[in-house]
Amino acid sequence: MTNTIEEIGDADLIFVIGSNTTEQHPLVATRIFEALDKGAKLYVADPRRIRLTDFAHGYAPIEPGTNLAMINAMIHVIIEEGLQDQKFIDERTNSYDIMKASVADCTPEWAEPITKVPAETIRDFARTYATSDKAMILYTMGVTQHVTATRSICALANLAMLTGHVGRPSTGINPLRGQNNVQGSGDMATLPDYLPGYQRPEWPTTWERFSKAWGDFSCLRGKVMSEMFDLIDEGKMKAMYIVGENPVLSDPDQNHTIHALKKLPFLVVQDLFLTETAEYADIVLPASSWLEKDGTYTNTERRVQLIRKVIEPVGNSKPDWIILNELMQRMGLDVDYKSTSEIMDEINLLVPTYAGITHERIQEVGIQWPCPDKNHPGTPILHVGQFRRQGGKGLFTINNFEREGERTSEEFPFIMTTGRVTHQYHTGTMTRKVWTLHREYPHGFVEINVKDAEALGIKEHQMVRVTSARGSITAMAAITDRINEKTIFMPFHFAESPVNRLTGQHLDPLIKIPELKVTAVRIEVEK
Amino acid sequence: MKTPLLYQLEKSKLDLVLGRWNQTIPVYVPSGKGKDISLLPMVDFPRTEAYINLTLPVKEMMFEQKEALFRWDRDAGGVKVENLSNQHAGERILYGVRACDTYGVGYTDHFYLKEFEDTNYASRRDKVFIVAVNCLKAGPHCFCTSVGTGVFSTTGHDLALTELEGFYLVESATAKGQQLIEAAADFFVPVSDEFAGDVSPGTLLAMKEQLRQKVADSFPLKMDLTNLHEDMARTFNADFWLDEANACIGCTGCTNVCPTCTCFNVVEENRDKDHGMRVRYWDSCQSDHFTRNAEFHNPRNALSRTRYRVYDKLKYIEERFGYKGCSGCGRCTDVCPTYISIIDIIHSIQKEAKENPEPPAIHQITAMRHEIFDREINVRNGLFTPDVATITKIELETPEIKRIYVKYDDPALHKNFKLNGQFFQITVFGEGEVPISIPFGPEESDEFDFCFKNVGTVSNILYNLKVGDKVGLRGPYGRPFPYEPLKGRNLVFIGSGVAMAPLRTILVQVVDNLQDFGKVVIMASALQYDKVIYKDELKLWSELEGVEVHYALKDPTDQVKAHQGYINDLLPDLDLDWSNTTALVCASPKRIKEVSKDLLALGIKPTDILTTLETHMRCGAGKCGHCKVGSHYMCVDGPVFTYEEMMALPPEY
Repeated sequence: MTNTIEEIGDADLIFVIGSNTTEQHPLVATRIFEALDKGAKLYVADPRRIRLTDFAHGYAPIEPGTNLAMINAMIHVIIEEGLQDQKFIDERTNSYDIMKASVADCTPEWAEPITKVPAETIRDFARTYATSDKAMILYTMGVTQHVTATRSICALANLAMLTGHVGRPSTGINPLRGQNNVQGSGDMATLPDYLPGYQRPEWPTTWERFSKAWGDFSCLRGKVMSEMFDLIDEGKMKAMYIVGENPVLSDPDQNHTIHALKKLPFLVVQDLFLTETAEYADIVLPASSWLEKDGTYTNTERRVQLIRKVIEPVGNSKPDWIILNELMQRMGLDVDYKSTSEIMDEINLLVPTYAGITHERIQEVGIQWPCPDKNHPGTPILHVGQFRRQGGKGLFTINNFEREGERTSEEFPFIMTTGRVTHQYHTGTMTRKVWTLHREYPHGFVEINVKDAEALGIKEHQMVRVTSARGSITAMAAITDRINEKTIFMPFHFAESPVNRLTGQHLDPLIKIPELKVTAVRIEVEK
Repeated sequence: MKTPLLYQLEKSKLDLVLGRWNQTIPVYVPSGKGKDISLLPMVDFPRTEAYINLTLPVKEMMFEQKEALFRWDRDAGGVKVENLSNQHAGERILYGVRACDTYGVGYTDHFYLKEFEDTNYASRRDKVFIVAVNCLKAGPHCFCTSVGTGVFSTTGHDLALTELEGFYLVESATAKGQQLIEAAADFFVPVSDEFAGDVSPGTLLAMKEQLRQKVADSFPLKMDLTNLHEDMARTFNADFWLDEANACIGCTGCTNVCPTCTCFNVVEENRDKDHGMRVRYWDSCQSDHFTRNAEFHNPRNALSRTRYRVYDKLKYIEERFGYKGCSGCGRCTDVCPTYISIIDIIHSIQKEAKENPEPPAIHQITAMRHEIFDREINVRNGLFTPDVATITKIELETPEIKRIYVKYDDPALHKNFKLNGQFFQITVFGEGEVPISIPFGPEESDEFDFCFKNVGTVSNILYNLKVGDKVGLRGPYGRPFPYEPLKGRNLVFIGSGVAMAPLRTILVQVVDNLQDFGKVVIMASALQYDKVIYKDELKLWSELEGVEVHYALKDPTDQVKAHQGYINDLLPDLDLDWSNTTALVCASPKRIKEVSKDLLALGIKPTDILTTLETHMRCGAGKCGHCKVGSHYMCVDGPVFTYEEMMALPPEY
């Protein structure tokens, strides 16, 4: 997030796109309600009539996969009607004119048939966003799990810069992270092309900094997960070490994933429980839960927060950092970390944005990075005064919308979009073991529009079969008027209804995130 | 409560007293800062006086978030069960409890210890000493003075301390309180008329009352709740409930922090297939599926569950138990992440009742009733531990309904058996428990039989057990069909499919004593004749003088003479004096209503239709809260109700 969670409560306008905030970030959603109580407006774009839409002033029932068209059309309207913040554009950004030219044809009338959002609704979204003083964008996987992920986010950045909604309180672009520490693990370079702190290995400063701590080392650019299973299949990847991830359920095209894992010569899985993925492992390393270890989590607003051990690790499990430490030692490295605080000391040295964040400083309240030194209070809002880019200017980008990725067909006429429910988390490795959560959502389901259900003769709670070009699964029908027609929704938590057996291998060309939100399927009553 | 004994304690001596007590019994004191205050052992944690209230009510010391009920172990010789209700921390002195929470304890004592005694609660409660320290300051959401439970403690405490000028006025309310006084007798100066110097008990109590008034006056929040129940009867369907329901995310925080929330769920925790424990966890009516029955039927939706909590706290508990269900602690409002506030809701109720009242809902004008009976239960090891029985015979009544015969492993249990209930809780070890109606009569027997369909998780497994397998039995529970009042009347038994089973318990008594009754009509309905249970018995009964048996089937065949269609069609042709007829109807709530409507049209009185309502019962004894409808526990107040009583329940069953 460029801004903080608390600031949501003071916004004038909140534009939520691709985020079921009340269900997936209920406490963030309370800030939305707080803002609404103070008179804020809420605009929501989502293919499902999520609970937020009950409170929204504007709603766009957007077709999955077309966010970019809608955002570009909003930009078009703002420029066409002269609602842009020219001062901000002139003083703080580059490449405005090129971007402007790129959206010249993106009229709301152009976007309407693509997005299924009425042109007038798009105009309303654009005007309200541009003319609100403090306007925040909130988004999650509804924007990112598409082939247009990177371009859509760049377009949202265009939208925010165009209207000067960056670098001030209660503005900005705010991805709500789906996991407690996904920000932290990204910061610490669980990415194939960075070292910790988003430092490219090829930059000279990076080498200089890290070789001081690590000695001589080499660092090749890695692969993203979605590429790895192909490499296994091709026989190029021989071993895999999976920590806290369950790709058999969470990765697209389950049959392909399983095929690759079976073929893989050597697999290590490190997790709390024996997951569906661990079934294919040669070695399973039992890891400890959050209750059994010390360390930090970095949350969605870049706040580094301390966690403390409450109980000793159960059985022979160990915290991840101890497992890694021992592994490094057995591989002959000269390391001996005694505590997570000692690891943080090294992070302070190597990652400039974390330089001032020590365990000592975050005993009570976490600090938001960037925090360059030990007296720095942290940075609640990014890009104040200047952008965190070389030269300090924001860069407008060109993000053309084209029909790509999965398309419906006569054989597969429905769009399936996936997501989560409040009471389950990811592949359910933890939450499905808890009775109270299990009771709320014991099994998978297929949300389908009343009219579609009627046409297909599907009744409430009936088992239906959902089939894509990759595979076929069954789940129980949940009939509703809160989803677009010809669109179905399925949660991906349930191994008995493994949605990712259906999803495909279309990837965002830049960051390779799979297009989990759009799969062409057909649906029929299970015989 | 009898007049409390009064003592004075110098303020500076307090820590000495706590230290003295702690030598023999661990003393728990408020510790922490800000709003994060817990009761913790004084040996390890510093005591604070800077707190308005404890973060969680003291209830958690007597009704723990998780408690073991019993363990079971299976070996070649059978199954052994062991009651675990006494597994807990032992004696504890809880110091610094506020009036809203002592009131909560007053209520939970009444709730758990009366009717069927909750063995777990009793064993913990016995070991707990409660020392209340009266509040001198209110928090922003405190409203105990409005509900009338505070500001000073009136019940639930053993000792109550009020800080006057440099000393505490100490009131000892119980024998346990006296035990505490005696343990530190040198610090407590008795106040009595005999020893009165400058201060008499009257003066001290007047000082206390003056202080109480002053504190009460300082409350930022004051509400007049005199007409709240009437107002609630007129706002049951008000629009604002939908707004509240829309805001609720079902996090269950409100019920977790409530001093009067008593619901729990029972859960099986198995070590392996032969060893396990049944435990209970706090549960919440604010979970969407708290009330879900087998086969997806859920009598409450988001709106009715949100509304239910408020009605339960402000109305239903008081109607049934005579205690305030809300002690005014304000915690539910403090913790709600979406700013749902019981205080705002009270305001909405009052505003709506004034500006936009509905005609009072019939289910909200039930007269106040506090009928609590102490009840007997035929188990050896306390309320929640079943007795082991063996399946001796299994018969297939219909293609999907089985009749199983079971025998207690301990024959004495059969010998002492009294049929004073309507259903049993049957345990499948390691899988769970399911309530099943009693179809047998009171005649002495060394065996029980039950009829059931495989519709739920547990009944599916029970369905597949074999002769010789072990089950657990608890019961009988529930208000049964009355027998004596039926004498001299015509009786119409109407049972649909497996629902003939609950009627059989009374039917077998009636056919054995036909001389005591008028005409007896039995009406069995099902889709096909194959799906009718007790076929042979029905045939036998139909041959008795004064008994008629009718069938109403969807697809009749030549197996039996039957009407094609509903039971309702047959009613007008029964040659009965309806004013002297009682109908016993057992079916789904929807069918019960349809049949009853026709019966009423024929001239039967709503009090002469008897029916059973089987909702999601978990404990069977009015404790777990799952089957509560309005102020009624289906398992204790029902499941047998007259039609009149049934229609006076909120439509949430």
